Amino acid sequence: MIEGIMANILWMILITLGGALISWGVHFVPVGGAPAAMAQATGVGTGTVQLAAGAGLTGLVSAGFMMNVTENLPLILASGAVGAMIMISVTMIVATWVYVYGVGCVPSSAKVKTDPITKYRQDIYVSQGTEGHGIPTVSFVSGVIGAALGGIGGGLVYYSLIKVGTSIGLTAGVTPDVVGNSLVGVAAMFAIGIFLVNAVIPSYNIGGTIEGFHDPKWKKWPKAVISSLIASLLCAIVAVVAILQLGGI
Amino acid sequence: MSVGGSGGAASGYPAQTIIALGVIGGLIGIYLGDFMPAAYSFFGGIGAICATVWGADAVRRVASYGLGTGVPSIGMLALGMGTVAALFGLSVGGFAGPIVAFIVAVIIGIVIGALSNRVIGMGIPIMEQAMAEIAGAGTLVILGLSVVIAGSFDYSAVVHNVVATGYIALIFIIGGMGILHPFNASLGPDERQDRTLVLAVEKGAIALIIVGFVSSLNEGLMAAGVNILIGIIIWYVAFMKHYALIKRDAYQVVGTGLLPSAEELQ
Repeated sequence: MIEGIMANILWMILITLGGALISWGVHFVPVGGAPAAMAQATGVGTGTVQLAAGAGLTGLVSAGFMMNVTENLPLILASGAVGAMIMISVTMIVATWVYVYGVGCVPSSAKVKTDPITKYRQDIYVSQGTEGHGIPTVSFVSGVIGAALGGIGGGLVYYSLIKVGTSIGLTAGVTPDVVGNSLVGVAAMFAIGIFLVNAVIPSYNIGGTIEGFHDPKWKKWPKAVISSLIASLLCAIVAVVAILQLGGI
Repeated sequence: MSVGGSGGAASGYPAQTIIALGVIGGLIGIYLGDFMPAAYSFFGGIGAICATVWGADAVRRVASYGLGTGVPSIGMLALGMGTVAALFGLSVGGFAGPIVAFIVAVIIGIVIGALSNRVIGMGIPIMEQAMAEIAGAGTLVILGLSVVIAGSFDYSAVVHNVVATGYIALIFIIGGMGILHPFNASLGPDERQDRTLVLAVEKGAIALIIVGFVSSLNEGLMAAGVNILIGIIIWYVAFMKHYALIKRDAYQVVGTGLLPSAEELQ
């Protein structure tokens, strides 16, 4: 077990880095939580985990898809990032339509006086008693950045786990059947597990809601990233050992 | 006792009783499901129900302090830690697999609980213990439901029949739902422990019914039929009990009748 861990130390470092990237990325995603679902806070009206996991798992799937055709790590990570970015952009643009045309409120942030990107005034459009509503431009851009980081992180975790498996002679190639590849199944499940752990830790750090990188809470990210580094390292050791055992069955 | 409030949850059954039920019931169920012939794999599901009740009680205790975010997050965390620990335990543990998985889950839970309290600064006094409990419960739920599908907790059987086929994703969500949903649905000033836990039993039974369908792939229709039947019986009993407790806790239960027709509205 020990020599297996020592031989795969590079992949374990990459898994840990991937976990930290996911954790950092979650801080960019405009999560409004339940208040945003009632258009009383800026962001998409659902929890961090649902939003980050939705985008991140799409990134994982698109990274895995790219692994069918190439071994090139930058291409795989780019595919993961783009998949996650598309997913979160679609979520945010449809939510904006609902807020603007359904609820009838102006996308605005209560945390800043002017949007840092468009320089539009925000405070005069914030309804009384609310903390902003909808997804202003800066939050949208921030969300896309966050999804890219999450997609890269998820892709990195998955790629590393697959590499650990292929190093002991398991295959992860295209099989005639859609189901039945043990390595892909185990690696995907570990990637999802690590992803969810690293999506929940920052969610506790930001207290459930955040608007994006212009939000004062964003500056708390080092705490969550340090926590995620430790948690991911623990998960990485466990995951690498479990995948090495796959060779024996 | 609402989310966002602070202070411990009022309780009927002490936490130790529920922990004992979850750990012992869960492990006995998993081992019985493994030893007995395929037709008795429903014991794994009963173990999973015990663990679900424990997980729901742990979520109830920790979420009463106010997590600052939704209750579902902690259920997803439980199953995230649970999957990692369960696959690791089965891979190295062999016969002692479930116990190794459980211990690893508790260690991961304590570490994440300590990180949440010390580094992130959530300041929930029972965070370390609750995280360890939730991770352990999540692991036992995954193992129990995997035993129902695969008929054993042998690593290769679980990998081939549960993980590689993708049914682990199903277990992930229905198991997580059983842990996170009961308190999420019942929270509020009138939340009562017995009502929340009966809801957890009901959710666990639904999980057993669903994995019972899947188990027909490996264990044949007879075993699957037994799994589904036992799941339906437990579900019915728990559902009626839950409905009775709702009527007990409600100020009044009245029938509203059907929606008025267009003529009656005029």
